[in-house]
Amino acid sequence: MAFVQKPQVYKAAINTVELGVGEKKVAVGGATVSPLYSFDAPIANPPRVGIEITDTGLKGATKGMAEFYSGCNSLADIAKRAAQAPGADFVCLKLEGADPGEENKSVEDCVAAAKEVCGAIDKPLVIEGCKNTQKDAQLFEKIAEALQGKNVLFLSAKEENHKTVGASVGLAYSQKVGAESACDINLAKQLNVLMTQLGVPSGSMVMNLGSAAAGYGFEYVASTMDRVKQAALGQNDSMLQMPVVTPVASEAWSVKEAIISEEDMPEWGDQEQRGIKMEIVTAAACLASGSDAVILKHPASVATISAFIAALM
Amino acid sequence: MYQITFKMRGENRLVLAEPGISLLDAAQNAGITIDAPCGGTGSCGKCRVLLLEGTLESEKSRHITEDEYEEGWRLACTSMVSGDAVIAVPASATAYEDSLSSDFTAKGKNLSRYPELQKQLSEAGIGFKRTFKTVTAKLPVPSLDDTMPDNERLTRYLRDKFRTERVEIPFIVLRKLPEVLRENDFTVKCLVEVTTDRLVVFDVLAPKADAFPCGIAIDIGTTSVSALLIDMERGKILTAASVANRQIRYGADVIHRIVESSKPGGREALRKAIVEETINPMIRNMCEEVKVPTTAVCRLSVAANTTMNHLFAGVYADPIRMEPYVPAFFEINPVSAGLLGLDAHPGARVIITPNVGSYVGGDITAGVLATMMWNDPQMTLFIDLGTNGELVLGNGDFMMSCACSAGPAFEGGEIVCGMRAADGAIEEVKIDEETMEPTIKVIGEEGIPVGICGSGLIDVISELYRCGIINSRGQFIRAGKRVKRDSEGKGIYMLVPKEKTATGRGIFIDEADIDNFIRAKAAVFSAIRTMLAALSMEVENIERVIVAGGIGSGINMENAVRIGMLPNIPLEKYSYIGNSSLSGSCMALISQQAYEQILSIGRSMTYLELSTTPGYMDEFVAACFIPHTDETLFEIGG
Repeated sequence: MAFVQKPQVYKAAINTVELGVGEKKVAVGGATVSPLYSFDAPIANPPRVGIEITDTGLKGATKGMAEFYSGCNSLADIAKRAAQAPGADFVCLKLEGADPGEENKSVEDCVAAAKEVCGAIDKPLVIEGCKNTQKDAQLFEKIAEALQGKNVLFLSAKEENHKTVGASVGLAYSQKVGAESACDINLAKQLNVLMTQLGVPSGSMVMNLGSAAAGYGFEYVASTMDRVKQAALGQNDSMLQMPVVTPVASEAWSVKEAIISEEDMPEWGDQEQRGIKMEIVTAAACLASGSDAVILKHPASVATISAFIAALM
Repeated sequence: MYQITFKMRGENRLVLAEPGISLLDAAQNAGITIDAPCGGTGSCGKCRVLLLEGTLESEKSRHITEDEYEEGWRLACTSMVSGDAVIAVPASATAYEDSLSSDFTAKGKNLSRYPELQKQLSEAGIGFKRTFKTVTAKLPVPSLDDTMPDNERLTRYLRDKFRTERVEIPFIVLRKLPEVLRENDFTVKCLVEVTTDRLVVFDVLAPKADAFPCGIAIDIGTTSVSALLIDMERGKILTAASVANRQIRYGADVIHRIVESSKPGGREALRKAIVEETINPMIRNMCEEVKVPTTAVCRLSVAANTTMNHLFAGVYADPIRMEPYVPAFFEINPVSAGLLGLDAHPGARVIITPNVGSYVGGDITAGVLATMMWNDPQMTLFIDLGTNGELVLGNGDFMMSCACSAGPAFEGGEIVCGMRAADGAIEEVKIDEETMEPTIKVIGEEGIPVGICGSGLIDVISELYRCGIINSRGQFIRAGKRVKRDSEGKGIYMLVPKEKTATGRGIFIDEADIDNFIRAKAAVFSAIRTMLAALSMEVENIERVIVAGGIGSGINMENAVRIGMLPNIPLEKYSYIGNSSLSGSCMALISQQAYEQILSIGRSMTYLELSTTPGYMDEFVAACFIPHTDETLFEIGG
């Protein structure tokens, strides 16, 4: 008997969230099928790929990265080059230098950096904080104010600062806001509920469900995303229908495969290639589990992952 | 040596103290109880006292503001004696330890449960034969013609009077017998127990001595210990008491206690803390109140969770906390009071109600007896709210039990203004949605608030949520006169301003308290869900819910459901029965058949270990939200 395909199309859908303005704006989400199941029904928007740059410039860049960005003298140059990377749908500026434990850059400096990047690119902008919840709340508020009308996504509001971030980014300046929780479906939903109770429209929200480099407890990420998608699509749980945006770069580039030098581990081969591979396998795993967008650092990974997506759509 | 005067409740107590010892120790050495749930480490801030005159060497504390320090407020535990001083001990510092009767004398209705329960048990076929008696024995005076020894003389008299074959005169009685007989011309009062096959003499006394056979029923909770003193001859409850478990300085929960008990000398220290520092003073106080010697206490019954009964009996408890969680005993034969070190008749039999699992203990088997669910076809969910929350689901056909760690929040522990359900505790709260002004009800005749007890906490959190003052995470989202932020930005709701409290300090609830409470309620609710799932049952299958625990004189079930602590089923299915463990312990004390029924309950219950049940943690996280992450569980009419 011939195989008869039974498409698994859900009545519910992942929300569609638009980022950026103008011609190059992108829509994230909108799927009515399981992740990457384009054979069940067309997927409204393919998963998106962002390229990450940081306010600290090219400090610590690998050989390949330095080559890619060669000739860039300012943050604006870097941003412009990143936006042109093949396969990049949007640019993510990570404000690493704002971390009070590191350079502790002032809010004003960070606002200036964000404006510089935003002015240099025609693609949507995502702002990623420094992971210090207090500092992030201050940064996001001021940057959201400075970049009004640019439809910028801020990553992320956490439970500790969701009130300030939600109220400023989501409500006062009508930007997009990510809600970040640590690999737990209930915590994710609770934060979404709190944000919506604040008045942030669910259509202005995305989720960062947390991530891990592939092989480093990724099964938690996979099962959380799986359950979130099941609840969103299968049970029509509107508090879990926000698209999932997963920053992959920092996880992938901080595990031993990516940081041990070739000198120390000659049998592992080229260090940069290892990092790229970690980034690619992690991003692919995230997409297969349910991420509607991933954020990567290396232009080679960006190109590979976007080709991977294109091949599956 | 310096002179320290403690002023408390209109009474002055002069204590001599060595320089350099802490005020808390000075007070405790003199038998003055100042509440120190943290064990005097300066971390809980409950032992606040007011320095009126003289000097103390005190460390500054985050629990005392600059202004308060100026006024003379100090923590007793971090203040060292450095000269003569006059110290005022406010009601809040003694509230937790408040020794006598506060739960009961204030409200006669709590005692009325016992005759009602006895009636129900009788109807279920449990006999209440009174076996203890007071007998005045008029013995023939010995002479050269009648040289029968004293013990034989008494034995013969009692054997004839009660027509029993065997009369036992324990050694301790024998030792005093010759003198008592001769001092009273061979007419003595005897406290005896008569059973079908024997008669035991517990004491011989002067005929006019104030004594009758007493029994004491005890419930040892992790946080609170409660007891009843019963006239065993007439079957009447004479007095009751409730005190804090003095083991609390070794940790707030059973795990910390077990860890402490496993250290060198720890087992003895923990045993002493419960027997000598907690139960014995309580027995002495109660006996003093009803004017009987402690040796008249001829029987005791103890209901306690598995850890508590192990530590009480001085049995190695470490395996309870480690996989595969095996206690030393479920059932234990009655032990004599003398062996346990209790201040009672050394030969008194001490009944310890049986355990079901490492975390479902004798307090639950005794509690189940009191619920009558073992004799009822209705599907009943029994919930005992305490530091450990225990659940039993079932009916006359089967019963399944499990335990969850709720923490001490229900008993007022780890809550800044929390206290046990004693005089001065705010037990009911309503909040006006518009003005955010509260209306409170306080336990006790005086009605001056001291702190908040468990039922008050349920009310205040539910009301704050209903009025939109806090969000589902327990964070403050409305501002107003009553809602403030402390120096760390933590939200606070002021229930009673400081001018209107018994302590001179405002009674409030802050975000950390709410967080503690949410975890406690989540532990309970997720345990309910997990157990229902284990039995493939839905909440709709539950025909009645019986809630127990010493958390107040009643619980507003609507509020408990609103915050997602109890399942959303019709409120008329709920009832609250107070301290069921103590009720069950009391029944076991006065009826051998009731005790046997508890043994049978223990043997017929199964035990579900939640910590190894997949999905429990997930349920717990989902329940750490008001009312719940799955809002469909709490839809009105749902």
